[in-house]
Amino acid sequence: MHDGGKATRVIGIRSAEQVLTKNMTTPDSAKDSLTSALNSNIIPNREYLLQGSVVDQYVEVLLHRLRGLCDNVDDGAETFYDHEMCFSLCMNSSGNPLVFPLRVRRALDAQDAPYQLRYIGQQELGDKNRPTIVRSSIDVACSASIVEFLQELGCRLDFEYTARGYMFRKGRMKITVSKICKCGGGNKPGENIELISQSYLVELSVLAPSGYDAIAEDMRVFAEQLKPLVHLEKIDYKRL
Amino acid sequence: MQQREEKQLESALDSIIQRVNDLKTSIAAMIYKVENEYETLNWPTFLDNFALLSGHLTSLSKILSHDKCPVLRNLTVLPLMLSPERDEQLAQLTEHRVTTFAHDLVPDYLRTKLEPLAENKMMQLEHKAATVAYENAQKQVAAYQKVVTHIWDIVSKAREEWDVESSARGNAQQHSSVSDTHLLVTAVGMGKGLKPVPNANGQPGQPAGSMMVAPQGRPGSASGQGQIPPATQTMTMNKAPSAIKTNIKSATQIHPYGR
Repeated sequence: MHDGGKATRVIGIRSAEQVLTKNMTTPDSAKDSLTSALNSNIIPNREYLLQGSVVDQYVEVLLHRLRGLCDNVDDGAETFYDHEMCFSLCMNSSGNPLVFPLRVRRALDAQDAPYQLRYIGQQELGDKNRPTIVRSSIDVACSASIVEFLQELGCRLDFEYTARGYMFRKGRMKITVSKICKCGGGNKPGENIELISQSYLVELSVLAPSGYDAIAEDMRVFAEQLKPLVHLEKIDYKRL
Repeated sequence: MQQREEKQLESALDSIIQRVNDLKTSIAAMIYKVENEYETLNWPTFLDNFALLSGHLTSLSKILSHDKCPVLRNLTVLPLMLSPERDEQLAQLTEHRVTTFAHDLVPDYLRTKLEPLAENKMMQLEHKAATVAYENAQKQVAAYQKVVTHIWDIVSKAREEWDVESSARGNAQQHSSVSDTHLLVTAVGMGKGLKPVPNANGQPGQPAGSMMVAPQGRPGSASGQGQIPPATQTMTMNKAPSAIKTNIKSATQIHPYGR
């Protein structure tokens, strides 16, 4: 590398310097760059969400329509089979109990895929003019030991379920059509599966930095195209 | 008597003229469109224009067949005076289409029979029909009737099928159920219906690998629920101590997490 002309040598030295300075200041600069990323609002930490369902016997019709509407035309729908565990960390600071929900999701059909740890915040319904639910969402990939780690931390498994279904995408939008099953008494999910409903859950979501409300309008338009098969709405489950 | 008839005739003529004018303007608009907008004109708007025309025609024929409308067939239009001079009033009335009421134009404009060409054709056909033998005519009529009934059958059958199809579609409107949506959303969001059921000990049946009990979580939630009951407990204690007490206890056991 240094055998080349002067110019390359200079470049080589400079880049080496840069790497060096970067390495030396990693703890600070990582925090700094995270803060600056937060400040400049480029982290997609807001989830725009619409939910609905479709009766089992019409799911084929819906999938057909989605295949036509969405981007993954060539390879058809992507299937998934996930196991989701919902933990809650109860923090009893100054008398008022604070429940901090954390979700761990893993793919059952791809065993070597990383686990996903996810925090979902309170959902904001907003007024009538806002087409979708908006909630904070932070997720990170992690290894299988996350479950043990969370338990050591004092998290309690609240509930768990499996979701098996299809995923579509359209631009930045993600559409999942999935069957939700209760995990039975067996040690492994997949045993004693118990369907909780005769319908498929349909979710339309986008992860975006906060303030990108224009995407919500796109979602509303897309949801409109799935009617009357599925009525995707913002549902306040806390009130149900 | 005669006055009344005249009045009737006048009003009928007025409304007929109005309808004819409507028809005329819409035909003019259509011609204008065809001539000037033929590059941008699309079928739907063109067909809309046709629908407009046919609507005007229908209302015109309705007026003509109305009870109050006098029988125009019995009336005669008699040209009293012909003149080769230009008639300004006539020109104005006809938008400068007819400028003179002269002997060469009047027979054409006041003609009540069919056009000469059509008249000729009709005559020929009538002549031909008259020469056909009775049996032959009967045979032809029968054959024609057969064809018509066959087509009628096909059309009515197709219509029946469409009706059945559309009614079936109307019944199958239920593609999604609101209760299922709510069930699924609450299940995924809050774990409603997914939480482990309490077993015989009253403790929740924990799935494998989730036995860890948050030490600080439990008392917190328990105290959170326990803080309000004491007042009610002491109040109700005097009335029915045991039953109420166990009720409260079992309720806290069902929701050990205080959510």
